[in-house]
Amino acid sequence: MRSGRRPGAILLALGMIVALAACGRGDDEGGGESAAASQAPEVDTEAASGEVTVWAMGAEGENLEVLADAFMADNPDVTVDVTPVPFDAAHDRIVSAIAGGEGPDVTQIGTTWMGEFATLGGLDPTPANIDASTFFEGAWDTTVVDGTSYGVPWYVETRLLYYRTDLAEEGGVTEAPATWDDLKALAEGIQGAGAEYGINLQPGGTGSWQQYMPFFWQAGGEIMDDAGAFTLDGEPCVEALTFYDSFFEEGLAAPAAGDVPIEGQFANGDVGGFVSGPWMIGIVTDAGADPETWTVAHQPTEEAGTSFVGGSNLGVLSDSDNKEAAWAFIEYLSQPEVQVTWYETINSLPSVQSAWDDEALAGDDLLAAFGEQLDDAKAPPAIATWEEVAAEIDAVIEQVTVGDLSAEDGCAAMQEAASSIGAG
Amino acid sequence: MTTPSGTVGADHSASTAGRSRTRETLVAWSFALPFLLLFGVFMAGPIAAALVTSFTDLRVTDIRNPLSVDFVGLANYLDVLGDARFQKAAANTTVFVLVGVPLTMALGLAAAVGVNQGVVRFRTIFRVGFYLPVVTSIVAIAVVWRLLLGSEAGLVNAILAGFGVDGPGWLSDERYALWSIIFMAAWRNLGFLMVIFLAGLQTIPGDLYEAAEVDGAGRWQRFQRITLPLMRPTLLFGAVITGIGYVQFFEEPFVMTEGGPLNSTLSLALYAYDQFSFGNYGYTASIAFILFIAIAMLTLIQFRLLRPAT
Amino acid sequence: MSTLAPTHGDAPTKNNARGDRGGWWIYILLVIGIILLVGPFIWMVLGSIKTTGELRQVPPTWLPENPTLNNYAELFDRLSFVRYFFNSAIVAIAVTAGNVIFCSMLGYALAKLTFPGKRILFAVVLGTLMVPAIVTFMPLFVLVANLNLVNTHAGLILPFLVGAFGVFLMRQFIGGIPDELLDAARVDGAGEHYIFWRIVMPLCGPAIATLTILTFLGSWNSFLWPLVVANTEDMYTLPVAIALFATGQQETNVALLMAGSVVVILPVLIIFIFLQRYFTQGIAMTGIK
Repeated sequence: MRSGRRPGAILLALGMIVALAACGRGDDEGGGESAAASQAPEVDTEAASGEVTVWAMGAEGENLEVLADAFMADNPDVTVDVTPVPFDAAHDRIVSAIAGGEGPDVTQIGTTWMGEFATLGGLDPTPANIDASTFFEGAWDTTVVDGTSYGVPWYVETRLLYYRTDLAEEGGVTEAPATWDDLKALAEGIQGAGAEYGINLQPGGTGSWQQYMPFFWQAGGEIMDDAGAFTLDGEPCVEALTFYDSFFEEGLAAPAAGDVPIEGQFANGDVGGFVSGPWMIGIVTDAGADPETWTVAHQPTEEAGTSFVGGSNLGVLSDSDNKEAAWAFIEYLSQPEVQVTWYETINSLPSVQSAWDDEALAGDDLLAAFGEQLDDAKAPPAIATWEEVAAEIDAVIEQVTVGDLSAEDGCAAMQEAASSIGAG
Repeated sequence: MTTPSGTVGADHSASTAGRSRTRETLVAWSFALPFLLLFGVFMAGPIAAALVTSFTDLRVTDIRNPLSVDFVGLANYLDVLGDARFQKAAANTTVFVLVGVPLTMALGLAAAVGVNQGVVRFRTIFRVGFYLPVVTSIVAIAVVWRLLLGSEAGLVNAILAGFGVDGPGWLSDERYALWSIIFMAAWRNLGFLMVIFLAGLQTIPGDLYEAAEVDGAGRWQRFQRITLPLMRPTLLFGAVITGIGYVQFFEEPFVMTEGGPLNSTLSLALYAYDQFSFGNYGYTASIAFILFIAIAMLTLIQFRLLRPAT
Repeated sequence: MSTLAPTHGDAPTKNNARGDRGGWWIYILLVIGIILLVGPFIWMVLGSIKTTGELRQVPPTWLPENPTLNNYAELFDRLSFVRYFFNSAIVAIAVTAGNVIFCSMLGYALAKLTFPGKRILFAVVLGTLMVPAIVTFMPLFVLVANLNLVNTHAGLILPFLVGAFGVFLMRQFIGGIPDELLDAARVDGAGEHYIFWRIVMPLCGPAIATLTILTFLGSWNSFLWPLVVANTEDMYTLPVAIALFATGQQETNVALLMAGSVVVILPVLIIFIFLQRYFTQGIAMTGIK
């Protein structure tokens, strides 16, 4: 061919391939296991100074300035610069920032992203200034990657059962369900009282693992063992998956996501219950549900009454050039009083246990129920491949509830998929 | 009518061959230079990097030291081709393209011809109206289409119920979901093609139609004998662009069904996006280049079929 | 040059005078089509003046019960609207101008000039159109970061200042311009650049209008790239800002999103309405047989 560019391009490609062959992975550093998560040595936060850039998402991003101003009043040598970031694609943005070396000092991080960011070396380990025991255990565990903590829980959320007390009464159920059998009876009762579906459970699809996992944990299952291997199959899985599927089999739960939002169906009485987090309190009220007719209940108990804990953490990027001030700001945000103020600003539930003693939270019945559940709430392991494993679990849940896969085969499939993906 | 291309030009250049050709080459490159500079840096470069990536096991956990990854040759490509989910996505995408491209082109052409020749008043309104779905945010579109296609509360099923037909779950039944998505995509993109075909229709001289009408040709014959042949370059362009776009269809399943139910609306682009969001960059790159080969082949076929007869 | 002056609408209207016979059923079809196509847009506009509570209702309502401009008020209140609009506008205008100018130039060279490597060049350019954009995302960002263009307008503009689509479009369109036109000018001693700017471009009205609309739309609505390139709020573009305020970790403020979507669409619509009249620009090719 006449164009002189072609041989040049080939040479370039060859050159890159040769260069790559010369590189290659070094030996993996062995991951250490430790009972309690290790933390970095203490950081001198008293001497904090300079500029700290902070990324925060959504409503947190918009309102964090309030706390930042208070912090700056206490620490006049530090300037905190908050940039709000949309939740959509915030993950991609943080990854790009780390890749390009253009990140902030502090960033809000979704709990399921910790494994990824820490494993790629993007986060600074939490210094010993910050005491792990002040946080809810499940929340703290989300910051621990390979035995070391890489951040601090900021705010949490957990999932409770919302249900229509009036319909339940009509159906003969007067108390909150305490066991799996009670939950089944509740759904049946509500459906008997005229609701189209006694309960709403997610039949597969993105995020359905968050509804299934609590049942798995309640049956005594663990996602991973101490050696770092997946343990998704076995008795607890079959039990939990069969139970989950039974609602669909028996017509107690809709086999497909409804066309209309769940809060509308709940307010109308078309659906008698659903499992979700604290943000739904406002949404359900907004949709017109009479507060007298519904409440929230602790997850039912088999071997345990465990729920899912999520929320957001705060971390310091390893490329940051002002780590002392960054950790100082995070330390500030973790103080109980500040956590309460934060709750009062945007309704984010505190991750610090003592903050829940405050009247603002303890005095609200619905919220107090969430607080109680937080004592028994777990999160998935903070591994770099969790999102991919979760997607496989979602797919299996769909095949079992919507398709015709059996629970036993489903459990085996989950385990196989997870094992072949590995923990990253 | 074929334009007698090049006869005059050829005679002209024959006389001052050598010097004119060099000058012409230089002039041509002066036209091409700005594009090529930007293109080389910002498009060709990253694509080359992506190609190299596809032969490695690069994952998100490697991004701080991207050069210390292993070169795995064709392993990614083989893994992709052997993956059941990929095969399902490939089947879905094939159906989508084979049905969607002709459907959208027919609708777009009908709209263009209709607006151009069938109506006099309110032309602007029609043009703007047909183009509206192209500019409306996919979120709004998704909300409305879910209202239309919902299995219980949807408008379509409500109408069908009026005829005594029990409508299925258009989006929740794995047998129908893909067809619903195809229809929705055609609806959404016909405005885009209408705009392009309108531009092409302008190049057809009006007196050709008059002459044909005088000769007694009917509406349909005029369309077949005049419009279609003369629109060939534009139709080719429309087919190629739509084909390229549809092989990569992503937004509709992403927003409406997330690829479900049971992967029945999983597209290749959505599959690639999922892998990208899991951080499997090497793997994603190989999916992308497999897609590229598919698109290139499709385009070649289209060029063969619709190439202007010269 | 008078024979080449565009004659507005002469040719088409002659058609339509006859086309109207039996043309009313076309009207009906088109009207049905319009209703189907415009529906979501209307729903979006109506949704933007509803309250969030009403949008959650089951069954969904069509007309707002308590129409309110609160959503817009909230949007303008929370957004530094002028700044975001300015960013979006600068980027979109620059990208559109760059595409129209540079892609047309290359399109002309590919369509009307001969030079070695022409076909390969076209194949390569067309080829990049066929590579899914997702793979270039990371390498492109790393490149832009290394060029120190993160959080700058240049970083938002340069990677998209030219595109393969524009080249393809213009090449096809310019290819349809008869060579005699150009050769006549060459015989008169006109240089290629003169021919391009004074003869070819004016004839490309519809294609330029099309390219302008499509490029502007793509740039104006782009979300992912501005999201990662803009590090600080003052560089955000409009779609990023709206996503910021309307989407949350668990819930979406649909009313705000609708209002935001309407705001984002308006400039594109206005440009479209303004430019679409050029689709009727009859090119008087009839003067040359």
